[in-house]
Amino acid sequence: MTSTQPRGDYVDLFRQVLDHALFDADGQLCGIVDDIEVSGGFGEPLRVTALLVGPGAWGPRLPALFAELAAWAFGTRSTRVPWEEVCELGEDIKLRSRAAVLGLGTMDRRLGRLVGKLPRSDKGAP
Amino acid sequence: MSRILEIFLGILTAMGGFVEIGELTFMMNAGSLFNYRLLWVVVIGVVGIIVYGEIAGRIAAVRGQAVFNVVRERAGIRLGLLTLVAATLVCLLTCAAEIGAIAMLWELVTAWPYRLLLVLGLVFFLLVIWFLPFKAIERVFGLMGLLMTVFIVVAWKMHPDWSQATAGLVPSIPAVSSDKQLLYAYYAVALVSSVMLPYETYFYASGAIEDRWTPRDINLNRIIVIVGFALGGVLAAALMSIGSQFLGPHQIEAGLPGTAGLAAASEMGRAGLWLALIGMFFAFAGAAIETAMSSAYDVCQFFGWRWGKFCPPRTAPRFVLSWGIVLLLATLIVMTGVDPIKVVEYSIIFSVVILPLTYFPLMAISRDADVMGVYVNGVVANTLGWLYFVLICIAAVAAIPLLVLTHGGQG
Repeated sequence: MTSTQPRGDYVDLFRQVLDHALFDADGQLCGIVDDIEVSGGFGEPLRVTALLVGPGAWGPRLPALFAELAAWAFGTRSTRVPWEEVCELGEDIKLRSRAAVLGLGTMDRRLGRLVGKLPRSDKGAP
Repeated sequence: MSRILEIFLGILTAMGGFVEIGELTFMMNAGSLFNYRLLWVVVIGVVGIIVYGEIAGRIAAVRGQAVFNVVRERAGIRLGLLTLVAATLVCLLTCAAEIGAIAMLWELVTAWPYRLLLVLGLVFFLLVIWFLPFKAIERVFGLMGLLMTVFIVVAWKMHPDWSQATAGLVPSIPAVSSDKQLLYAYYAVALVSSVMLPYETYFYASGAIEDRWTPRDINLNRIIVIVGFALGGVLAAALMSIGSQFLGPHQIEAGLPGTAGLAAASEMGRAGLWLALIGMFFAFAGAAIETAMSSAYDVCQFFGWRWGKFCPPRTAPRFVLSWGIVLLLATLIVMTGVDPIKVVEYSIIFSVVILPLTYFPLMAISRDADVMGVYVNGVVANTLGWLYFVLICIAAVAAIPLLVLTHGGQG
C-alpha cells in the first residue's frame, strides 16, 4: 500500500487533504473533507485550524445557483473537525477520535435506527 | 488451487456479466444493418474496457479507492458533482431498461400483465440485494449469465461468412448514401459506448474493494479483465453475427428481447429458446443489480458515506436507501409505458458523453508515481489509456449530434 505522505513539514492541502476521505479511530468512513478552515491575518502565517464536513461546507464551493440549490436540498449543516484530530495523512485521512465524539456520521446513526428495524439489518457479508 | 478457482470464476463472471439489453440490441441491429462492417468497433470497445477496467481494478487494489473516491479527489467538487449526477442518471436509465426488458421476458413466458411483472421485478431485486451477500450476487448472476453463450453456438450454427467477418475487423467507411453513413457513425459510437458502459468500471472497482483486494491481487485483476472481457467481446461479436445472418435477411429489427430468443429457437429449437431466455434473464438482472448498486456506490463514495455489502445495512443506511431509491425510480420510469429499448438506446448514447469525465481522473491518479508507487501505469497502460481518452472524447462530442441527425438511430 502506498500513501501520499507529507514531504517533511510541507503539506499540499489541495492534493493531500481537500476532498479526501476521513476515517475515525475505529477505522470507519465518516465523511469527506469538504472544506478547510484556516486562520491568520494579513502578513501573518496562515494556519489550518479545522476540516469542515457536510453540505454547509461543500455547497458554497459550487457556482452560486447550484450552491443555493444544494442549500435548499441538503441544508447548510457542517461539522468542524479540529486539525489536532488528524493523526495520519495518506490516501485517506485518519482521525484520533470516534465519529460520534466528533459529531460526524449523525445522519447514518439516525437513519440506521430506522433501517435497523428491518430483518437481517445487522448482517453484512462480502 | 483456490487461487486458480478464483481466477476461473472471476473470468466466467466477467464474461457472463458482459452483455446487457443495450448491448444485445445494438449488436444485433448493427449486424442486421451493416453485416460485419462494424466488427472493428467491437474490438476497439473491448480493448478500451480492458484498459480502463484494469486501471480501475489496480487503483482499488493498491489504494483501496473506488472510482468516485478518485473522481472526488482529482476532479474536485464542481466537476466531480457534474460527473456524479450524469453517471447516476445514466445508471438509472440503464437500470430502468433492464427491469423493463426482464418484465418483457417474463411476459413472453407467463403472459401476465406487463406492469404487474414490473412490480414483481422490483420486489425480486429488492429482496436479492437485501438478502444475498456481494459474492453470491456477483457469482449467481455472472455465472448464470453464461447461458448467453448459447448465442455463440447459434452464431456458429448459422455458418457465418468468415471472409466478411475478417474484413469487418478492418476499419472502413461503407460506400453508401450520406444518411446511411451517418447511421453507420451513430452505430459506431453506440457500440463503443455499449461495450465500455461506465457502470461496469464503477461496479468492478467497488467490487474489488468489497472483495478486499490488495496489491497481491494485481495479477488476478489483469487476468480477469483481459480474458473475461475478451470472451465477453466474443459473445458480443456472436450477437452481431446473428444480426447479420438472421435478422438482416428476414428484415427483423431487434426491438424486443424475444427477437434474440427467436434467433436461438430457429437453430436450436425449444432448448435453444429456453437457454436464451434464461441466459438473458440472468444477464439483464445482473445488469439491473449492478446499475442500482453502482449508483449507490458512486453517491456514497463521493460524499464519504459508509457503503458496501460487507457493512451491516444498519450501519450503512444511506447506501441501502440509495440502491433502493434507484430501483424504485427505475421501475417507475418503465411503469409510465416508455419502451425500455428506447430508454436503453438513449442511456447508451448519453453514457459515452460521461466516459471522459469518468476516465480522466482514473488516468490522472494511475499515472502518478507519488500515489501509486511501483504500481503506477506502465508504458502500455499509459499509451493505451491516453489513446482511448482521445477516442472517447471524440465519441463524446459526436454522440449527441449523431443522435439528433439520425433521428435517434432511425436513419
